[in-house]
Amino acid sequence: MSNEISRRTFIKGAAAAGVVLSASGCFSWNGRNIPEKVRRGDVTYDVLIIGSGGAGMRAALAAAGNKDRKVAVMTKLVPTRSASTMAQGGMNGVTGLTDPTDSIESHAFDTIKGGDYLCDQDAVEYFAERAGKNIFEMDYMGYPYNRQEDGHFHSRKMGGHSHPRAAYFEDRAGHAMVHTLFEQCLDKGIDFISECQMLEISMAGDKLAGVIAMDMRTGNFIGIPAKTVLIATGGYGRAYWVRTSNPYSSTGDGIVAGMKVGIPFKDPEMVQFHPTGLSVNGVLLSESSRSEGAILLNKNRERFMEKYAPEKKELATRDIVARSIATEIEEGRGVGEGLTAGVYLDFTHIPAERIHERLGQVYDLSKRFAGVDITKEPVLISPTCHYSMGGLEMADFHTGETRVPGIYTAGECSCVSVHGANRLGANSLSEVLVFGHTAGDGAAAYAKGHPYEGSQDQLAKDCAKWKDHFDEVTTRPHEGNRTVPEIRDAMVQTMWFKAGVFRNGPQLEEAAKELAKHEEDYKKCYVGDPSHVYNTAFEQYVELGNLLQISHAIVQGAIARKESRGGHTRRDFPKRDDANFLKHTLIFKDETGYRAEYKDVVITKYPPKERKY
Amino acid sequence: MQATLNIHRFVDGKKWVQTYKVEVQTGMTILGALTEIKEKQDPTLSFACSCRSSICGACATRVNGNAELSCEVLVEGLMKRYRSEELTIEPLGNFRVIRDLVVDWDPKYARIKKIRPVVHPKDEFSAEKGCLQSPADFNKYKKLAGCILCGSCVSECNKNALNEDDFLDPFAFVKALKIATDTRDKDAKDHVKAAIDAGLWACFNCQECTAKCPKGLDPAGAIEKLKALSFQYKLDDNVGARHAKAIYDDIQESGTLDESKLNIKSEGFLAAGLRLPMALRLMNVGKMNPMEKHPVNPEIKTIDAVVKAAEAAEKEEV
Repeated sequence: MSNEISRRTFIKGAAAAGVVLSASGCFSWNGRNIPEKVRRGDVTYDVLIIGSGGAGMRAALAAAGNKDRKVAVMTKLVPTRSASTMAQGGMNGVTGLTDPTDSIESHAFDTIKGGDYLCDQDAVEYFAERAGKNIFEMDYMGYPYNRQEDGHFHSRKMGGHSHPRAAYFEDRAGHAMVHTLFEQCLDKGIDFISECQMLEISMAGDKLAGVIAMDMRTGNFIGIPAKTVLIATGGYGRAYWVRTSNPYSSTGDGIVAGMKVGIPFKDPEMVQFHPTGLSVNGVLLSESSRSEGAILLNKNRERFMEKYAPEKKELATRDIVARSIATEIEEGRGVGEGLTAGVYLDFTHIPAERIHERLGQVYDLSKRFAGVDITKEPVLISPTCHYSMGGLEMADFHTGETRVPGIYTAGECSCVSVHGANRLGANSLSEVLVFGHTAGDGAAAYAKGHPYEGSQDQLAKDCAKWKDHFDEVTTRPHEGNRTVPEIRDAMVQTMWFKAGVFRNGPQLEEAAKELAKHEEDYKKCYVGDPSHVYNTAFEQYVELGNLLQISHAIVQGAIARKESRGGHTRRDFPKRDDANFLKHTLIFKDETGYRAEYKDVVITKYPPKERKY
Repeated sequence: MQATLNIHRFVDGKKWVQTYKVEVQTGMTILGALTEIKEKQDPTLSFACSCRSSICGACATRVNGNAELSCEVLVEGLMKRYRSEELTIEPLGNFRVIRDLVVDWDPKYARIKKIRPVVHPKDEFSAEKGCLQSPADFNKYKKLAGCILCGSCVSECNKNALNEDDFLDPFAFVKALKIATDTRDKDAKDHVKAAIDAGLWACFNCQECTAKCPKGLDPAGAIEKLKALSFQYKLDDNVGARHAKAIYDDIQESGTLDESKLNIKSEGFLAAGLRLPMALRLMNVGKMNPMEKHPVNPEIKTIDAVVKAAEAAEKEEV
């Protein structure tokens, strides 16, 4: 008997020694993804920015304007991999260079009308005033603008705008922005905390303590103390997983972390669907397809847009075309079934030379992903989730602050609200510049006037909690449990078919029930990778958890909004209802679940009218 | 149709090659295949990806020894190219591997910093009013601004494979040239100097970087252009520039290389003297004959015509 115990003790001891050895192996990793001072734990950041897209890096440059300020940018990937790089069209701002007749009022009005009057008009005015200035600044930072003959940067006109006001680099406006900002950040020596997945914002009582994250390279859980945290983590299009044009990383991590500490999720139901995503995987075929003359056909080869928009046909606005396509598919005139059902986008009447000349990227993408040569046959497309208008409520757009002291937000993860119920083309890049700048300044000013009031003990406690969670989650058996991808696929089925382009009351109620079921499955799901080094399986587990909460909020917001406005279309309430819903949805989350409140839309000088183009 | 993917795995210090089979569907990219394996067969397989539209640069890997953006290349296309159902997938070369196909980018950023990677606008420009630049001047560098930092160019870089400490990654030189040719910048010379200090002349000229760039950029060409700029800015007091100049002069004079003088012209008399042991070894194996008459190569009679043509071409370029 004693022999038995000693053997068991020996095995336990050996196992413990093994764990220590392997852990020490991890700790000895000398990668430079995390600054030395963070690893030593002897830095308290003044401004800790989460997200390295346009908003995050613009904020970092603003906050680091004062050299005494300690600023860092944390990202779950490495910098420059963000959704901002995918923006094509340009960034709007009134500069008077290409079109001297343009005015700030005109930009504000176009934005408000485009947003179907759900925009806060004082915020839009602030935005329109500053957008031009930020575009000039980017020129000074080295943004490679396309030029016009007088040497100034050139602007082009985007859908829904009454003047050309979008400055750009080729058809890669976002890519150029991210790389220009990154060059500036490198030059200014801004700290990057790369490849760290944010897990939560840590609070000591009602005081901000910092951010808890997993260092992907070591699997260590780190708590970084900060006086202010600026959430710039981007949108949540991945709630529709394969039916989105967004990158894999757009999983709403920051919004969920914000909700957890009491910041409401504003207008979550406002999601923009782009009409022409490839049916096979949601990748976007540019708007220029339709402007170059491609037509839409259903399975009977009927040009159905003649029915929905007799005058503009395929050139009607994004939301109208998206709804028309969704209707055709719903009523059985689409091709294929399920998530990959679609209608034909036909280019065959356009001369092949013109396709190659002007639609090179559309040609490539169709050929690559759908195996279709668009000069010879039509390609299958269907709507794809493109942009998240909703996000963390920004309590004051002059500073970027939220209602929790010390927490700031900017970019697609925030809701100012500038875009209202529908975003206009090329307004997203200018939004990240304007409010990235503002929030960076705001957070730096707050950090100057406030001491760190959080607690390192709290950070340590939260890290320990996540470590235990990691150990439990990654060692669950496969037997009897659904996998992360299985639950994710189920979530998409729910979201796309019951809370997608079209919504109605009973279906939304079903969606809420199904999501609750998915969350139950999630609690015991199988992850299947116990390694501490770069565990993307665990990362995807965390992201799915976030997406499920985001989905819940979308559905809750959609249930409560009994009207159709912008990106939100209720079959049972097909009209806009200004009497009851000229207000923002605020979704709060606490232990008991999700709760909706409302806040009136701010109207200054643009009274709501019917939106017609 | 089925594809067999031999994927180089590296987890917690262990290295092995693991074979997976996937059913090839229309439009299945390498990234699509990796995703399918992770979702349905093996959740432990790790790789980086983000945009899947070939613009974010996260997902470059090596397929059969060549760097590719995995979201961009089709499994079917590669099977045709290599005439095989079997493909080998490895992490990018010349990067430290963290796990499986995930590589370490951090040292690379420190390397980009060496070329002072930011425009220093001329004094007449301001943040309030922006800058001025003609469309023609914009066209000179716009292609270079298309770099997505995917790392494909350095994956098969032979110079980096031999020694990365006295050289940079090709994408860093692309950035240096971008800024040096951007007419808004007032310190073009500084960026060229920084590129020289970081090893510009050490390039082997093997063109692997240009062959691998998924965005059709020409990093090897960028390195050549930076070298040309170094003469323009009179930054030619270094071994690399003197070596190029020596070859240039020889060709102009006689149409042939006089290798006996090349070394002295490039490195100087003293440094060349330190090469004596190598010279002795060469003589010993019969590769060098000190008694041979000089120049070794006969003069080319038509060199004048060639030089004239070259001069004409040079004028045309301006």
